[in-house]
Amino acid sequence: MGVGLNHRLDRRELLRATASAVLASAFGGAATRTAANGPLRFGLTPVFLTNDLELLGRLQSYLLRATGYPVSLVTRRTYQEITALLTSGQLDAAWICGFPYVAHRAELQLVAVPLWHHKPLYQSYLIVDRDRKGSGILDLRGDIHAFSDPDSNSGFLVTRAALAERHLRPETFFAKTFFTYGHRNVIRAVASGLAGSGSVDGYVYEVVAELEPKVTAGTRILKASEWLGFPPIAAPRVPVDQMRLEALTKALWEMHKDDEGRAVLRMLRLDGFGAEDPASFDAIASKAALVTAAG
Amino acid sequence: MSIFLDRSWPITVKVPLAVAALMILVGLVLSERVLSRLTESQERHLIELSQSYLDGLSSAIAPSILREDNWEIYDAIARAQTTNKSLHPIETIVTNADGAVIAASDPKRHPVASTIPPEHSISSESASFRFNAGADSAKAVRVLSYPGRIAGIIYATFDTSHLAAERRDVVIALALTNGALTILLAAAGWFLVARMMRPVRILSEHLGVARETLAVPIPEAVVSATRGEFGRLFRGYNALVRSMKEREEMGKRLAEEKRLGSLGRLASALAHEINNPLGGLFNALATLRSHGHLSSVRDGSLGLLERGLVGIRDVVRTTLTIYRTDAVMRDLSPADIDDLGLLIGSEARRKSVKIIIFNILTGDIRLPSTPIRQAVLNLILNAVAAAPEGSEVRVSAETIGKRLAIAVIDRGPGLPSREVEVLTGRSGARPPLDGGGLGLWTVSRLIADLNGQIVVEHPDSGGTAVKLDIPIPQVEELSNVA
Repeated sequence: MGVGLNHRLDRRELLRATASAVLASAFGGAATRTAANGPLRFGLTPVFLTNDLELLGRLQSYLLRATGYPVSLVTRRTYQEITALLTSGQLDAAWICGFPYVAHRAELQLVAVPLWHHKPLYQSYLIVDRDRKGSGILDLRGDIHAFSDPDSNSGFLVTRAALAERHLRPETFFAKTFFTYGHRNVIRAVASGLAGSGSVDGYVYEVVAELEPKVTAGTRILKASEWLGFPPIAAPRVPVDQMRLEALTKALWEMHKDDEGRAVLRMLRLDGFGAEDPASFDAIASKAALVTAAG
Repeated sequence: MSIFLDRSWPITVKVPLAVAALMILVGLVLSERVLSRLTESQERHLIELSQSYLDGLSSAIAPSILREDNWEIYDAIARAQTTNKSLHPIETIVTNADGAVIAASDPKRHPVASTIPPEHSISSESASFRFNAGADSAKAVRVLSYPGRIAGIIYATFDTSHLAAERRDVVIALALTNGALTILLAAAGWFLVARMMRPVRILSEHLGVARETLAVPIPEAVVSATRGEFGRLFRGYNALVRSMKEREEMGKRLAEEKRLGSLGRLASALAHEINNPLGGLFNALATLRSHGHLSSVRDGSLGLLERGLVGIRDVVRTTLTIYRTDAVMRDLSPADIDDLGLLIGSEARRKSVKIIIFNILTGDIRLPSTPIRQAVLNLILNAVAAAPEGSEVRVSAETIGKRLAIAVIDRGPGLPSREVEVLTGRSGARPPLDGGGLGLWTVSRLIADLNGQIVVEHPDSGGTAVKLDIPIPQVEELSNVA
């Protein structure tokens, strides 16, 4: 994280970038390449800390400068809405979860995969109250369980698949389940005692534990899943605008080479974005298949 | 107040105590008003805030409550608790219509699907807010109803310890202020009353002295230093003391003059009594000198001389007997009554009053002669003085059973009632200060000493009848008396 002078410079750049983006979208100035085709629309799911306005501002600022297009960041409450916007061609690209990606693999193409600890992988955690005994999912029978989102891999699919492997179903195994539509909310629900256990994105859990230790303090990881493909950035298989998509892809891949890009990555606790083989999401696909088969 | 303020307490204590009592009363009434207004204002404020809190929360959770969305309701509660910090919400619980918890601000205390304990249950809308002044928390309830059915219930508890602390501060401030004012005013009351009552104390001390001994005037220095109505009071008191002293001295002087007057009258009567037979005796001497050779004349003159001398001897003896109190006690004899006629004779003759004595006593009577003779002598002297010229004064003496009855009756204008009272002893044991009636008072005292009674009558024919009734002691009693 930049401190002191660097931090102030970043701020200034952000302001300048935001101003130019607004001007570009309003008047279609020469500063942008194809104002006529409209801005680059980039969707974000609640995988990340979407409530962090500074992060959003910086990301937008970086993408504007790196792509040369005015950038519109689109956020929605649920994964489903972003996925729908993406598959219907209303977004150039979106940062979605592995589960909707594999579910809509026929309609989507992989743009980039974030690298966390230099790998495009993450885990799903089952978390419980810090003082609670137990070591496996079977210890959670009869719980009130918090899921993140019905379209989330780590926040729903992994746990659902784990139960399906044991021929169990969440609605009968748990006393009650609810969705919080945010991984951070799952942590809060478990920490407060509203839920006895929760399914949460391991990456989000670790970042929250680092940034807001108080939120995770009341919880512990009961069980971590195997390593799975990190939530990717995907685009419609038929791009909305090929040039915008190429510019976006390049901007993501080269984010770690730029100061502002690195600042964004630092805030996200990521190392960069890479091009990955869609096969790295096969594990998720097989879980989805298992769940579908279980009905 | 009469129980509280004992009548015997000095006014310098009573007034400050009354001031303090009134101040405490005023303080209590004022404090009660202030506290009740404070409670009303706190409660109104709290109700407004809690209603706005419940309004905000209700609208936030209304869609979620029908779905029983635990997370959304929990999140709404958490946000509401954060944004309503000024209300100090401690705990908020949302239940469905059956009382099962959907979400609570502290899910560990009230887990999802648990049932709300009875003390939280408030069924009617009217009791939707509960706040006890001075308590550390207030409770509010909101029933969320949609047409036809109850969707859910919100129970909210607010921390009111800051209101209780404010109330305590007000109570302490009131108590300290009222206490200080009470002490201050009581002290001022004591100081002022002590200052105002100082002249009264001086006066009451002097009056207290006057009750025990003689009244003493207030020193002139004190009187001149005191102004206003108390100054006038002091001067008035001193004037009273002076006039009392003058009156007392005048009484003494009068008594003395009366005594001297009585003495003079007695001496004059005695001289008269001796002088009267002297002319006859000198005549007898002259007759003897010239016709002494005639045995008949000599015998007659000698008899006359003897009778005259015996009369003088009797007068002297009687006087001696009467006025020598240390004389040997002897019984009353009939001659004692007869002698009185002799003693009064000259005075009666001077006033041309005839004294008639019915003395039917026979032999000695067991009563001391001296006091009876003195008493009867005084009565006869009084009667002669009162009797008109040429009238009669009747004196009777007899024994009726075991009693001696003596009556002195005159034809005068009648004994004034004041003197009757002196005589019959009804006006107390003290002699009259002006000296008037001193003889009558003496009679009264002498007869009372003999256990006798005095009756004064006013017969229809006019004049006054004074009757003495004296019991005659029996032999053994007499020996005791002797």
